[in-house]
Parts: sequence; structure tokens; C-alpha cells
Amino acid sequence: MPAVLIAMALFFGTINPNFWSVTNMGNVARQISILALISIGQTFAILSAGIDLSVGSLLALVSVVCAQAMLDFGLVGGIVIGVLAGCLAGLFNGLLIAKARVPAFIATLGMLVAARGLALTLSGGLPIAGLPHEFMIIGAGYWGLVPIPAVIAAVSFVVAFFVLSRTRFGRYIYAMGSNEEAAILSGINVVKYKILVYVVSGLFAGIAGVVLTSRVISGQPTLGEVQELYSIAAVVIGGGKITGGVGGIGRTLMGVLVLGMLSNGLNLIQISSYVQNIVVGAIIVIAVYIDLARERRR
Amino acid sequence: MNKHSVFRTILAGIFALAAFVVTPAYAAPGDEYARPAKPAKQYTIGVLLPMLSNPHFVAQLYGYIDEADKLGAKVIWFDAGGYQYLDKQLSQMEDLIASKVDAIILVAVNGPGTVGAVAQAVAAGIPVINCNVMTDSDKVVTRIRSDDSIIGQMQADYMGQALKGNGKVAMLRGAPGTSWAENRGNAFKKRLAEKFPHITVVGEQYSQSTPADGLKLMEDFLQTFPQLDGVYNGADTVAIGAAQAVLASGKKGKIVITTADYQLDTEKFIREGVINATVVQQPGIIGRWGMRAAINTLEKREVPKVLWTPLLQVTSANADKIDMSTIRAPAGWKPPIR
Repeated sequence: MPAVLIAMALFFGTINPNFWSVTNMGNVARQISILALISIGQTFAILSAGIDLSVGSLLALVSVVCAQAMLDFGLVGGIVIGVLAGCLAGLFNGLLIAKARVPAFIATLGMLVAARGLALTLSGGLPIAGLPHEFMIIGAGYWGLVPIPAVIAAVSFVVAFFVLSRTRFGRYIYAMGSNEEAAILSGINVVKYKILVYVVSGLFAGIAGVVLTSRVISGQPTLGEVQELYSIAAVVIGGGKITGGVGGIGRTLMGVLVLGMLSNGLNLIQISSYVQNIVVGAIIVIAVYIDLARERRR
Repeated sequence: MNKHSVFRTILAGIFALAAFVVTPAYAAPGDEYARPAKPAKQYTIGVLLPMLSNPHFVAQLYGYIDEADKLGAKVIWFDAGGYQYLDKQLSQMEDLIASKVDAIILVAVNGPGTVGAVAQAVAAGIPVINCNVMTDSDKVVTRIRSDDSIIGQMQADYMGQALKGNGKVAMLRGAPGTSWAENRGNAFKKRLAEKFPHITVVGEQYSQSTPADGLKLMEDFLQTFPQLDGVYNGADTVAIGAAQAVLASGKKGKIVITTADYQLDTEKFIREGVINATVVQQPGIIGRWGMRAAINTLEKREVPKVLWTPLLQVTSANADKIDMSTIRAPAGWKPPIR
């Protein structure tokens, strides 16, 4: 996958040298940071043999809640309440899945629809404007040459990498994803950790929602449509197994980079957005096919 | 109404009237804002559109591209694919900035949501021309648009007269967060309240700007309000759906339908008498003026802060007399897919 990335970068860079410019590298970093954040949560969900279809809609819900709270309670209040809203929705998902035993696909599908509805209801369908200008820093600011959203995404990746590879919670996620029966028999509190998985996914949707709200300096109930599908695509393009147990945060990062670089690079070499969709669709299937083929050979 | 908007109302009114009554003294429609001389340099102009599935924007894109041809400019255009894809338009804007285009023409998917992206372009030294659907940013060189308030008022006047000042009306407002849906809908309500106080607005809904959304909303309105006398539509994208719902319910001719814009299906419904009246923008002119303003800006010529494009009202009575050259792209023309 890294080889594919380099090949892609060389290809785009040859056709349009601006691809390599500092501005554009900043653009790629900023554009992928939202997808990167929700894909982290998606990695947790898919690794545990679940899925989280609600992350796209949660972006909208968080955006609306964050913007409204910011108007009522100020900058910090808005950010905190926005992130908490994401966690809370994740907790709800987790309870439904782990306690009530609703399949993850169905529970989060319900949340996908309901969260969008809640976002539209709370906002009356209209954007919430008038946020303080300092808030723009999160979405549009820089730390040296690196856009702040990319810094947030990078830190999140490091933390998530550490959690998945160095903590008990991380090991249990792999165990649950590989064989849930075995995990239960070996005494893992599956209910507790499953709930935690969806809270984590909600948390990252919350962070992503706040960043996106800052990028558009307004609360927007229509944000994030179909983003849940791109986050799933990022996980599987990177080599994560859709049925759980195999994958990791590094692989997901690869998937995110492929998707982000594709959309930016194709824009820069002026491929129409319609053709782009065809390319992205093909890449998703090809990436998974190559992975499976390699596995069979072993 | 403040001074500025009085002036604007009068100006747009004159334009609307002129389109009716006077044969313009100009060589071609839209020459009120004339084509500048072809510049020595070949400029590259980025164009960002909200949704090309609406033929209104296909006609507008034709205006941009054809005018660019005549001015020796190159166009890089992107379509966000719908008013809900704000994040997509922002990425497209950033990619145009990275491509170092000379100027950007923005048809915004969202007013408040595009403020940051415009600031980014301006900070990179790229002037932004705002056409048709407005950004809330105050950093744009000029705004080129038809007056959405007039579009709302003209619909209210038609509705009021058709209903003889009495009845129940529903509103399909169009895409939330867009300048057109806001301004047209608000002006419609205000004008009704002022001139026709006995007409009541019983329900209003926003939706995505597609016939499917309009159809569904209208079916539900017909169930909720069996006594409905009229329906306002923010754009013909939703009106086409509303007209289908009215036809299917057998209430053709019993419900007055007004809307804006004039795609093929709208013309068909006007001629069949299902849609009663439409206030038509001239997207071709918006496109040409946008490109002219971009070139003028780059050639360091003065550009007015606002340019109002003319409006027409079309009913079955004058449907045969309308000059389509500024309203639709030529038959068979397709946006160049790269």
C-alpha cells in the first residue's frame, strides 16, 4: 500500500507540479483530517467485529449541538458539549449493541437516520451562524506549516495506535473481533468493552464534528453525508478485515491517505468529480481483492 | 426596507419591466454589462457550482464556458453535487487555490459555511467573484445575481391576484441555508402579509432542491391541508415535484402553483396549465457577466459591487414569446466531462 501511495503521488505531481506545493500538501492534510478522525473510530468498531454506520450523521449532530452550545455557553463550552454529544450518541449505540443485543449494523443504522433527524430538528434545518471568530483557528489555523486539523488527527492517530497495540482494551478488541465466544470464555467482559468501542467511535466523531464545524464556521445539519461509507472504505482499503479481528490504526491511515490523495490529486489534474467516483469505487474493490488474493496464496 | 434595498428593488423592477415592455437597445441580451476586449494573457478561471443536476446551472456553466472562449480564458469547473455537500465545495475551493487559478467564480452551496474558504482564496491573492447563490463573506469582489426578493414578491403578486386575495397557501422553500431559498421565501411572505392579508401561509418546509423532494413534500401537504388553494416554490426543481403531486391528486387547475426558473419540465407544466407562473432568471447572463467581471478584475478595471441580472415572468400566455438563448444551454450541449 505505501508503494501505491508513492506511485500515486509521483503520478499527480508529474501532471500538475502544484501537487507538491506546500499549500497543497497542507490542503491534503486538512481535507483528510475529518475522514481520518472518523476512520479511527470506525477501525475500533470494525476490529471488534462490529461496524458504526452513524459516524457521518453524528458529524451533523455534533456540528449543530456544538454551534448552539457555543452561542449559549461560549467557545470552550461549545467545544466540550459538542464532543460530549458525540460520546453520548456512541454510548447509546454501545448500550443497544452490547446490552440489548441489537446487531451493530442495525443499531448504528438507526442512529444514522435518527441523528440526522435530530440535527435537523434542533437547527430547524438551517445553518447556525454567528460563531466567535477565534473558533476558526481549529479548522483554518496552522501550527508551523501544518494545519491544525491535521495536528489533531495526527495526535489522535498516535493515541489510538497506543491504545490498540499497548493496552488491555486494545488486545481485547482484537480478541472479541477474532472470536467472540472464545473471548467470553476466557473471561473478557465483552459487554463492557463493546460499549467502550462505540463510545470511542462517538468520541472521534465528536472531535471530527467540532473540527468540521470550525472549518465551516457554522452549525450545519447537512454535513457528513455518506462519510460513514468512506470511513469504512478507508479501513478496508488499508487492509482491515470487514468481519473483524484483522487490521490496525496504521493500515487505516494508509486507507485514509489513499482516499484523500485521490480526491485532491484528481481535482488537481482536473478529472471531473463524476469520473472520480468511478475511480474511487474501483479502488475500494481492487484493494480488497488484492488483499484477499494475497491471503489465499499464503 | 432600508435605502439600499429600495434602490435595489426599483432597479430590479426596471430590469424586469424592461424585459417585458421594451425591446432592449443592446445588440445581444445581457449586453448591459458589456464584454471587455479580449485580454493579451490567457487567464485560468475556476468555477464552483452547487448542483449541476439542475439544468439552471448547466445553462449557467454554458454561459461561463462560452464567454471564456470568447475572452481567451480557460475554465476549470467543479460541481459540489448538491447543497448538502458543503465540505466538498470547500475542498474544491482549496484545490483551485492550490492549482493557482487566476480568479474563482463561486456559486455558494451555503451562505455562512463558505466564509472561511473565501478568506483563504483572498489570502492567497485570488479574487473571488460571487454569482447567483451568495456567500456571507464580505471579501468577494462583486456579487452577480438576480434579485431573489423580487422573485419572491412577483410570486406573491401573482398568487394574490390569482386567488383574488383569499385562500390557503403552502410553501416549498427549497434548500436550507442558501440565499435564494431564504430571500425568496421571506419576500413572498412579507409581500403577501402587506398586500393580501387574507391569504394565510398554512405550512412551509425546506428540502433538498430536487423534484423527488418536492413531490414528497407536496403529497404530504395535500394530505395535511385538503383545502389548499396555492403553493409557492423557491425553485422549479421542487415545483416540478409539486406539480406532479397536484396532477396525481386530480387537483390540476384547483391549486395555483408559482415558482422560479424554467427548465424543460417546467415549460411543459406551464404550457399544460399545471404550473401557473414562473419568475425566470437568466442563468446564461449570470454566467457571461460572471466571466466578464472576472476578466475585468484581473485586467485591473473597476467592477461594480453588485450586478443585478434581469428577470422574466412566464405564464402560458407568453410562453411562445420567450427568448431561450439566455435561459437554457443550446440543445444537445453537455458540460465537457474530463
